[in-house]
Amino acid sequence: MKPSRRADPYWLLLPTFLFLFVFFLFPLGVLVRESFFAWDLLTPPRYVGFGNYRALWRSGELLHTFLTTLSISTAVVLGSMAAGLGLALLLDRPGRFPAFVRAAVFSAYVISWVSVALLFLWLLDADAGALSGIWRTLSGARAPNWLGSPQLAPWAIAGVTIWKITGYALVLFLAGLQDIPSSILEAAELDGASPRARFLGITWPLLRPTALFVTTTSFIASFQLFDVVRVMTQGGPVRSTTVFVYAIYEQLFLDLRVGRASAEAVVFFGLLLLLTCAQFLLFRGEEAA
Amino acid sequence: MFAARDGTCRPERERSTVTIRWKQAGHGQARIASANLGLYLVRFERATAPPAPANPRFLPMIPRREFVRIGALAAASAATGCALRGIPKGRTGVNLWFSYGGTNREVLEALVRRFNEQQSRDYVLAVYQGDYFEGLAKLRTALAARCAPALSHVVGEVVPYLADAGVLEPLADYPGVRELDLVPELGQAGSWIGGGEHALVALPFNRSTPIAYLNADLFAQAGLGAPRTWRELRDAARALTRSNNRYGFGCPINWWFWVALVGQAGGSVVAPDGRVSLGDRAGVEALSFWQELVQSGVMKPPPGRDYNAWEQCNQDFLAQRVAMIWSSTAFLKYLEAHAPFRVLAAPLPANRRRAVPTGGTFWVVLRSAPSQEKAAAVRFLRFMHEPAQVIEWSNRTGYIPVTTGAVRALRARGYYAQHPNDAVALEQLSVAEPWPWSVELFRLQREIVQPRLESVVVEGRDPARALAEARALALEPT
Repeated sequence: MKPSRRADPYWLLLPTFLFLFVFFLFPLGVLVRESFFAWDLLTPPRYVGFGNYRALWRSGELLHTFLTTLSISTAVVLGSMAAGLGLALLLDRPGRFPAFVRAAVFSAYVISWVSVALLFLWLLDADAGALSGIWRTLSGARAPNWLGSPQLAPWAIAGVTIWKITGYALVLFLAGLQDIPSSILEAAELDGASPRARFLGITWPLLRPTALFVTTTSFIASFQLFDVVRVMTQGGPVRSTTVFVYAIYEQLFLDLRVGRASAEAVVFFGLLLLLTCAQFLLFRGEEAA
Repeated sequence: MFAARDGTCRPERERSTVTIRWKQAGHGQARIASANLGLYLVRFERATAPPAPANPRFLPMIPRREFVRIGALAAASAATGCALRGIPKGRTGVNLWFSYGGTNREVLEALVRRFNEQQSRDYVLAVYQGDYFEGLAKLRTALAARCAPALSHVVGEVVPYLADAGVLEPLADYPGVRELDLVPELGQAGSWIGGGEHALVALPFNRSTPIAYLNADLFAQAGLGAPRTWRELRDAARALTRSNNRYGFGCPINWWFWVALVGQAGGSVVAPDGRVSLGDRAGVEALSFWQELVQSGVMKPPPGRDYNAWEQCNQDFLAQRVAMIWSSTAFLKYLEAHAPFRVLAAPLPANRRRAVPTGGTFWVVLRSAPSQEKAAAVRFLRFMHEPAQVIEWSNRTGYIPVTTGAVRALRARGYYAQHPNDAVALEQLSVAEPWPWSVELFRLQREIVQPRLESVVVEGRDPARALAEARALALEPT
């Protein structure tokens, strides 16, 4: 179809472009610009060139935040994938009970992050928490300080996140499973394939696009983790749970370093962009295959 | 057209004023507003830019940045409730942002109600804004958005910074302010080294010192008295620790208590010549003391940061999971009311000498507020410094009374003889050490020292190395 006037498509694109410009591109430009200034919101900004980036790099904050985020994200992706897939395989059957469990698991995904964080803050309390109570009963010793120890806190955060987003993975895997024609599985069964062989030879390969989708979306979601950290640990103890978004928040709203927060946000944006590109390439590869 | 649009951020009754100012500002800004897709916030910014001629930092900046600043902070100002609502007609409204929770909040709200009922000229609207750090973040953001309240209260550490940024209203020339009979150690002049040489911008309200809270029943059972030295504290903590359910000692790993320890070890955070020394050897000693207590299992390392850690510490004490804690005198009434055992307050122990910092917050009036609001805010502050209010606030919360009149009245009444716990913080003022008047103090606290305290105590890092690193960071340009 050819437009009667060359300019027509651009007019039609204008509203979308304006929206994108005002809410995404312009703020992004501002962000990049701010990252070259030192500004505390009260006194005039000072141009510092790449000073903010250098300071972030030299203090080790960038690397530390990246590694913290990456390890929590990896745990979250692996955990929610495994739990989602396992539950999907168990619950992919008719009946009231599986339906109830499916709804129950998915309900965690629907409730607010802050509620979940508060709930787990209570469950994981080192002294009064249910988990610590069970631990004490079983071992007779003091329970580990789940949120107070720098070694445990990141995993506690990852665990809560897994609990929260597994429902999402579950639903996607269920959809993927139900997409697999039962005739193929039945044929394999008639040919004498064991359940394990059927899973490895048929189910898993056909689930791969779903798995890829779940991986990338939950990876990005876990990169954006904030609420749980804000409520449960405030990035501590000893910055062990200072993930990217929290670090940006802390720089901006607690330390009021607009420039440094912007620099961190620019780096974070770059990382997410890379991740998204990787996802695109992988998907294209999948489709071509 | 524009006057109606700026309603998001200013009180209704001010709109006419805003319009007049706008006409004075000329056409240049009108083009900016329309060039920026009609975002009305720019217009608002121009109209109410503070005069503040004395402070060159507020000379006009490039309009685009102003736009950016306002745009970026619009959400924050909307969220923090910039507009005054519910002000009775004909009264001057004063927005007061406060950071007290629990009992303190109830008492403050009761006092505000009393002020509003007692007179019909001013009306104070008290809005809770989260803990000190959250409240401060909101205040600074709102200041940048030119949307700050007229009155708020901030921790002492941040006052020099805010004063230097020129956002605080000098108060000395308001009627009645010079005449306030402040307890010397608690006012601006006595709370900072050379605090009296700077323009008066801060008036004390909830002022405190750290004190020790003892579970008197457990101490009596063990035949122990309140520890008077670090050694006695260590011994008492050891004697009261039970391996599976109780620690002898608890204390938030917080800058304030560390400063107390540094003073007790004979040092100061900033040396007399202005160098950030972080106590040098005394700083290391202070940290080593904590580290040793935690590593030997007699001190409970509290989880959480900032005020979460304080709350946790209080809960541990009330649940008898910890036999003795250090906390602010602010929690005296709360702990007394909720403990299922006798609470004994005691001064902090000495090492080389006795020393405590003062804490709590100061009232500040924000310079950006309209002058009639500022005047009303000061009238409210004078009301709060009347003996009746000072006494009620102090007796119901545990904070130190801030005027000598109130202290005298309480003494005359025999209040301290009946409530010896209340006298502890007041008595400790004799060894209270003023803060350095340093713009860097807040950054030093939040960014440089606090994270390292945690890493030493919780992760077992070498205290000397952590503090050397902090000192080096403190020297770096911001």
